Amino acid sequence: MKKLLGVYHTNSDSEESLMIQEDGKIHIEFGNSKLFKNSTLIHERDKVIRDPLGDDNDVTGEGVFDFRYGPVTAGVGKAGVYHLFTYGERILRVKIDPSYNRREVDKRMEGKSIEESLNLAQNICGNFCVSHSLAFSRAVEEALEIEVSNHVKILRAVALELERMYNHMYVISRLAAAAAQLVLTSHLQGLFEDLLVVNEKFSGSRFLRNFIDISGVKFIPTIDVLKDVSENVQKISTNFSKLFEQSLASRNYIDRLHSTAVLDAKSAQEIGLTGPSLRACNVLEDLRKGEEVYSSLRIVTDEEGDSLSRMEVRAHEIIESAKFIVESVQKLEIEDRNVNEFLPSNDGRGEGLGACESPSGSVVYHVDIEGGKVKKLYVSTPSLFGFAAITHSMCENNIFTDFPFAVESYGVNFADAAR
Amino acid sequence: MKWWPIVGITKKLTKNETYDSKIAVEPLKLFKKSFHLYMIDVGNSNQLNFEFYALHTPRYNIHRFGIYFAASPRHADLLVVLGNPTPQMVKPLKETIRQMPEPFGILLINGCDETGVDLENLKLPNVVATMRGCPTASEILAVLLKISGRTD
Repeated sequence: MKKLLGVYHTNSDSEESLMIQEDGKIHIEFGNSKLFKNSTLIHERDKVIRDPLGDDNDVTGEGVFDFRYGPVTAGVGKAGVYHLFTYGERILRVKIDPSYNRREVDKRMEGKSIEESLNLAQNICGNFCVSHSLAFSRAVEEALEIEVSNHVKILRAVALELERMYNHMYVISRLAAAAAQLVLTSHLQGLFEDLLVVNEKFSGSRFLRNFIDISGVKFIPTIDVLKDVSENVQKISTNFSKLFEQSLASRNYIDRLHSTAVLDAKSAQEIGLTGPSLRACNVLEDLRKGEEVYSSLRIVTDEEGDSLSRMEVRAHEIIESAKFIVESVQKLEIEDRNVNEFLPSNDGRGEGLGACESPSGSVVYHVDIEGGKVKKLYVSTPSLFGFAAITHSMCENNIFTDFPFAVESYGVNFADAAR
Repeated sequence: MKWWPIVGITKKLTKNETYDSKIAVEPLKLFKKSFHLYMIDVGNSNQLNFEFYALHTPRYNIHRFGIYFAASPRHADLLVVLGNPTPQMVKPLKETIRQMPEPFGILLINGCDETGVDLENLKLPNVVATMRGCPTASEILAVLLKISGRTD
């Protein structure tokens, strides 16, 4: 099923350049965005996010209360606001305002050199900085017809999987904390910190900042470092597997996640949802599917579409990513350490589309380069669609205390959505 | 129902590290045993939120230093400001400062992103330290210890 992820250029209503994801691939096609149910969400993405599949009106009436949650509250410690329309403890409708975190990073990339823009791309979302810099680099490489060596492709994939592992660990530890599973939370937090330490060993940065470069990577780890990373990742994965198995035996924990914020596959795709949250609705959709370096990767899906399914998909992805990293390090030991150097020039021009599977879904960049500078740019981030999915899935049979399990299970954040 | 593996008893998760910082700090000089902090994200790239989450982990075990996270600015001794504020977050930031009980301190962490309103131009009261860029959890803990006046 086609998913609309962005509208890059509009001439008229019927002549728009649409960013489409279909069967694990991204492409641009011309058409009318209004034929997609998430058209308003995309055109008004800097405003308040509402359920793209529901009606636009606020719920009013006796006993209905707009509970404004954020930006400075104990539960929402981030720059954004949730409007929860409640009747007693039942949640009737949700609106989300990420504009408090709007920094216009994407706008500031326009007119900048490619190197400056690459640096800015990772500032869009600090915990997805590999995903953003990789998608941007791929768009530039397509625009300027730059070849990337196999060695670089594998190193980039390892960085992306390390990013996936620590983000998934964060999400699962947050879910465990929301369910007051203090022992489990503490163990998972320990593994989360261990993964940040591994990132630092691999790239020199706990969040893998400044690792991706146009046509290559900025830092090539030695074989000894790679072996150390591989051993540590394997150890973390083994420890996590035991904890995950234990956690599934705890009804106190599982009951909080089961049947919470259920989303069906059709609605998820109409909203434009991608990533593990879509795969939790039993849709086998992943941008890594089409990449040669990921040929041995098992794509994980689940059937229920609830918070439990989303947690389980992420848990299995941690284990799969660890396996992938271990295999990749073995390949890197025998691979030619061949990296093309990118030489900035003032006459580079072209248009390019680049994407990658971030921990929470597809990050897509379309760039228009002229005179070695970014003339125009459009970035589609997964958190926008994740928040829209929250607004839709929270409105049926959910109560106030389900809220943290719904929000955390989608793994979204305001910085990514607001850019 | 199985018992949770009691890893913490058989394996020490807290690293035996020393935390030191060269950043100029004005110690609060108020608390000998403990202090509570409240953090406010005013529009950072989310990396600082993750670093603060890392501070909750057993590796740092910050409760041994008497450092606790408060759920409300009204219960806090120190306000930690994460990032440079977006225009929309200036008002909530000032309101949060108004809610802090006297005496209090403010720690500013600018973040890697150079967007937003310059914190120095806002002339916030009681700023006890400023950290540039995106510091790691260890660096943040070192500054928190310096603010609290603890040397152990």
